[in-house]
Amino acid sequence: MIRYIIRRLIGAIPTLFVISIMIYGFVLLAPGGPTARFAMNARMTAESKAAIIHKWGLDQPVPIQYCRWVGICNPDGTGAGMFVTKQGLPYFLPSALGGGDNGVLHLDLGISSSTGVPVAEVIGDRFPRTLMLAGVALVVWLSLALLFGVISAVKRYSKIDGAITVFNYVAYSFPTFWLGLLLIIIFAATLGWLPAGGMWDVKLDPNPNFVFGSSEYWTFFGQHPLATILDLVKHLILPVATLVAVSVAGDSRFIRASMIDALRQDFVRTARAKGVPERRVIFRHALRNALLPVVTNIGLELPFLFTGAIATETVFSWPGMGQQFITAIGQYDYPVVMGISVITAVLVVGANLLADIVYAIVDPRISYG
Amino acid sequence: MDEITQARIVETPEDLEELLTAHPDYDVQLESLNQRQLAWRRFKRHRMALIGSTMFLGMVLIGIIGPQLLPFDKNSYIPLDQVSQNGRPPMVSPYFHPFGETTQLQYDVLTLVVNGIGLSLLISVGATFIATIIGTIVGGVSGYFGGWLDTILMRIVDAMLAMPLIYLILVFSEFLGNGSASWFTIMLIFALLGWLQTARLVRSLILSLREEDYVDAARVAGVGRLRIIFRHLLPNALSPIIVAATLSIAGFITAEAFVSFVGYGISATTPTLGNILEGAQQAIGQGNWWWAVFPGLAIVAIVLGINFMGDGLQDALDPRAKI
Repeated sequence: MIRYIIRRLIGAIPTLFVISIMIYGFVLLAPGGPTARFAMNARMTAESKAAIIHKWGLDQPVPIQYCRWVGICNPDGTGAGMFVTKQGLPYFLPSALGGGDNGVLHLDLGISSSTGVPVAEVIGDRFPRTLMLAGVALVVWLSLALLFGVISAVKRYSKIDGAITVFNYVAYSFPTFWLGLLLIIIFAATLGWLPAGGMWDVKLDPNPNFVFGSSEYWTFFGQHPLATILDLVKHLILPVATLVAVSVAGDSRFIRASMIDALRQDFVRTARAKGVPERRVIFRHALRNALLPVVTNIGLELPFLFTGAIATETVFSWPGMGQQFITAIGQYDYPVVMGISVITAVLVVGANLLADIVYAIVDPRISYG
Repeated sequence: MDEITQARIVETPEDLEELLTAHPDYDVQLESLNQRQLAWRRFKRHRMALIGSTMFLGMVLIGIIGPQLLPFDKNSYIPLDQVSQNGRPPMVSPYFHPFGETTQLQYDVLTLVVNGIGLSLLISVGATFIATIIGTIVGGVSGYFGGWLDTILMRIVDAMLAMPLIYLILVFSEFLGNGSASWFTIMLIFALLGWLQTARLVRSLILSLREEDYVDAARVAGVGRLRIIFRHLLPNALSPIIVAATLSIAGFITAEAFVSFVGYGISATTPTLGNILEGAQQAIGQGNWWWAVFPGLAIVAIVLGINFMGDGLQDALDPRAKI
């Protein structure tokens, strides 16, 4: 088993390598290149521009630029010394083990070209907020998909199965962002029950530093825990509903099919013949087997939480990674665009890996020699 | 056999049985159908598929001939006197005027939506067409030849699939199109990023098909490799490819709408469904709900139609399915 996991981990390296080349290609693709932001600045002399270009290493050949960005090459080294640190150790090692500290491998994602804040810090601020939205959505999504899938499989061709099927088809056809707009129109603009966007109510605390995750937020949370949670929940309802509705549809169809398959198996008939109560047959015998293909499917769908979050975060102005990504593209803030892409790609590859490994663990029929 | 009083078409063996029991003296033949006729018959029996394709073809028709039927050009305002004679309301809602009009510049929403449907369909159908061809070629070559070529191609496909497609589409659309791309640029970007799933599908189909006896027979007969791929393997892999292509139209419709909605797609003055929704977002606060609702409903109608149609095609094109 451990050998299987190690082999899969090593197998992910070439994938990540190709992805990193692709993401680095964003800069080459971008209009004006990375210097576009100051190239137009009239107050900068040609010398200062050249100095910045040299400092950023943009006068180097593209492969070396890429190598430095990834964190395999030492920006201070030349020739063969490029791959080692001053101490002569390989540069790509973690800095704690004597490696370098520059480049993506060392979690150095560069500096945002629009705000000057380190990209790692920007993502560190944004990621928990996206995780909050995606995490809540994932829990609701999975429980609803299981509920719908099992009900419609057990009561196949009944009225409730028909209703769930219709819901699935319709919800599956809704563009995420448009569903968000509809919910805003109904619950925020017309009924006024819920906020139309954002993650916290600015009226709670007039302090401009009062943002989710800041120390002010946690201080306020300590003083008024109930009000803060209530406020967060209020802001979560519409975005979560948007994310959930679309993803539940696909999954509950999948679970239904898988569950119907499981209910047809011989061991289910045996269990029923033995006189096992129906509830126990469904949940213990059929569902546990029906969940096997679902595990993989969920692993493959996890990226949707991030892509779906892009649309949801934009519509509901949720200050997470997706919204930051959209803003950064508009500002040609390449370091942020690349940083968020890298983090997302690592998460996606990790989720797929995890799904494979979990599948190998839960399904005893899989051989993983 | 001198006089035929009645002619009946019998469709199933059961019907034939029944007919022969009722009239033992009938001279009957069971007509045999080729695969295409069988598929069409299965498709016709699929009620949802019929509804879906009617919806989809309806939207296509609206997109093609709709703009000619409407009195307004897509870039013109509504003449004020046509809407209200004495003191016009600040916004014309659908209660007074079909689909209502927009808040800024008072565009006619119906005109925008009809034009948007045509353009969005053009982009997504075109992108699907190109992407399917690229994906089929890459997947076919990769699956048939295998070896290092297969390894490299599939590594690239794996890596590109690990990036959420919408990230790539957003970056490419904005960086290559500068926020005001033509529909053709956007279509090409979609096509160049959208062939990955098809390639994977075709590869897996080819991998299983190339073990079939008829492929060995062709190889023994001296048929060239490319001819085996394109004449022997691909026609047998066609059904799943058609189904996947149909469903991917829906994906592109939604993707185009989203990319334009966030302002990184086609130039904002061109009415695609996404661009119309982008404008509508600001008007919601002013109580103008119809501007956002109708273009979205058009997207849902197209996507729903395609999904139903895809399901029907999947059943119809399966030669093992019973009639």
